[in-house]
Amino acid sequence: MDKIENIFIKLGQLDRRFIFFLIGLSVLIPLLKPGLINIPIKTTSNSEIVFKELDNLNEGDKVLVSFAYGASTKPEIHPMSVAVLQHLFSKGVKVYTVPLWPEGLMMAKYAIEEVVESNLFNIKEHTNYISLPYKAGGEIIIRGIATDIRSIFRQDVNNILIDDIPMMNGINKITDFDFVFDLSAGVPGNAEWVQFACDENNVPLSSGCTSIMVTDAIPYVESGQIRGILAGMPGAAEYEQMVFKYLNEMGDSKFLNKEALIIPGKATSRMSAQSIAHLLMVVFIIFGNISYYMIRRRNN
Amino acid sequence: MYEIIGVWCVVLLTLSIFSYLYGDNPFYKVAEHIFVGVSAGYIFTITFWDTIWPNLFGRLFPDFVKAGFEFDITYIFPFILGVFMLCRLSKRYDWLSRISIAYIVGMMAGLKFYVFLNSNLLIQIKSSTVDLSGTYYNIINEFIILVGVISGLVYFFFSKEHTGVIGKVSRIGIYFLMIKFGASFGFAVMGRISLLIGRFEELIKFSSYEIVKGHETIIIYNPTLIILVFMIITLTYWAYKDKKKDIIEK
Repeated sequence: MDKIENIFIKLGQLDRRFIFFLIGLSVLIPLLKPGLINIPIKTTSNSEIVFKELDNLNEGDKVLVSFAYGASTKPEIHPMSVAVLQHLFSKGVKVYTVPLWPEGLMMAKYAIEEVVESNLFNIKEHTNYISLPYKAGGEIIIRGIATDIRSIFRQDVNNILIDDIPMMNGINKITDFDFVFDLSAGVPGNAEWVQFACDENNVPLSSGCTSIMVTDAIPYVESGQIRGILAGMPGAAEYEQMVFKYLNEMGDSKFLNKEALIIPGKATSRMSAQSIAHLLMVVFIIFGNISYYMIRRRNN
Repeated sequence: MYEIIGVWCVVLLTLSIFSYLYGDNPFYKVAEHIFVGVSAGYIFTITFWDTIWPNLFGRLFPDFVKAGFEFDITYIFPFILGVFMLCRLSKRYDWLSRISIAYIVGMMAGLKFYVFLNSNLLIQIKSSTVDLSGTYYNIINEFIILVGVISGLVYFFFSKEHTGVIGKVSRIGIYFLMIKFGASFGFAVMGRISLLIGRFEELIKFSSYEIVKGHETIIIYNPTLIILVFMIITLTYWAYKDKKKDIIEK
C-alpha cells in the first residue's frame, strides 16, 4: 500500500515541463497521423439550432456577419466562419461582414477569400457579399448599426461609397437585416449584440464563439435571445459536418458549383487531437487530486 | 522572397513563445516585446485611418478627406474631447482629460443601464420561470434552473447571516456556482488546447522543404526543424552557462 501511495505522491510532484511535454505529444501525434485515432463527432442541440436557423433563410435574405476575433483565437473561430459563410452562400443569402476587432478585418478577408477560392459558389463582391471596414468603438458601433448604419459606414473596405453599391440599397439599420451572426472571442461579442442591438429590435441572432465564452453566453441561449451557439472547436467541427453533409446532398442549385470539390473543414480533423489532450488532462487532474489527498493524509 | 521571410518569422516567433514552457529566456522576451509593439502599432494605425480619419476628419474637412460624409460642425466637440484626452500626457493640462473621461463614463453608464436592465434582468427573469405546459423533461430542466437562480442569489445576499434555512439554500447556491466554475474551467482548457492545435498545425505545415500556395510551389527550406534545433542548442548552452555561473558564485 505504501508503495502505491509513494507512486501517487511522486506523480503529484512531477515537473510541470514533463506534463507540458506529454500534452504536446498528445496533440502532435494525432495531427501527424490523422487516421490513427478516429473519435466520432456527435452534433449537439445548440449547433443543430444554429444550422436550422440559417437553413430557414431564403434567397436574397440579408445577413450581417460580425467578425470579432483575431489571430490568437483563429483556430477556434475561423473554421466555423468558413462553414457559416458556405452555408449562407449555398442558400443565395446576401452577406454583409463587419469587423468589430482590429484583426477582425483580416479574419473576414481570409474567410471570404477561402470560400471564394474554393470555387464552390458563384459569388461576386457587391452582389453576394460586401465587406465593411473596421470602426473602433465596440458597443457604440453595434448601437450605431442598430440605429443608423450610414452614420458610421459610408464606404466599404475598398473605399467605395456604399451609396453606389446596389447591395446596400435599403440598408439603414439593424431591422433591415433578416439575421445577425456573431463570430466572437471576447468583448464586443455576442452579449453586446444581444444587449445593444438584437433584443431591442427583435432581430434573430446566432453566435459562434470561443469555448471560454460559452458559459457566459448560455443564459442568453436558454432564454432564446441567442438562437443556438457554436461552442469553440467542437461546435465548429459539428457545424462543418452538417454543412458538408448538406452540400453533398444538395441537388441542382444555381448557387452551388457542382464541379468544385467539397472538402470537409479543418476543425473536424483537429477534434482527435483535442479529445486525446482532454483525456490526458482528466487523467492528470485525477492523479493530482489523489496525490493531494495522500500527502494531506500522510501529513495528518 | 517576402513569403519565405514571413514563414521563417512565423516559426521563429511561435517557437520563441513556446520556449517559455522551459523557462524565461531571451527568445521569449524578444517575441513578447515584438508582439506588444506590433499589436499597439497595428491598432493605432487601423483606428486612425479607419475611424478617426474618415468618421471625424471626414466630417470636419469633407472636401479634403472625401470619405462620403457631409460637413458637420457638431463633430468639433468629439475632436476637442479627443484633444483633451491627449492632454493627459502634460502635467500642466492633464486635468482637461477628466472632462473627456467623465463624458465617456457618463455616456456608457447611461447606455449600459438600459440595455443591461432589459437584456440581463427583465428577459432573464422571464426565462427563469417554469412553463408547466411543457414536456416533463422541460419542466424538470426549468425547475433546476429556477432553484439554481434563487439559491445563487441567496448566496450573494449578505444582509442576513447564512444560518438556518438561508444557510442551507446558500449552500445549494455554492454547489451551482461550483458547477458553473467547473464548466468554465473545462471550456477554458478546451479553448487553450484548440489554440495549441492551431500553432502545431502551422509548425507541421512549415516543417517541409517546400509548400504549395495556390498554384505556386515555394521553397521554404524546412524552417521548423532548423529553428527548433538552433533554439534547443542555444537554450542548452545558456542553461549550462547559468549553472556554471551559479557554482562559481557559490
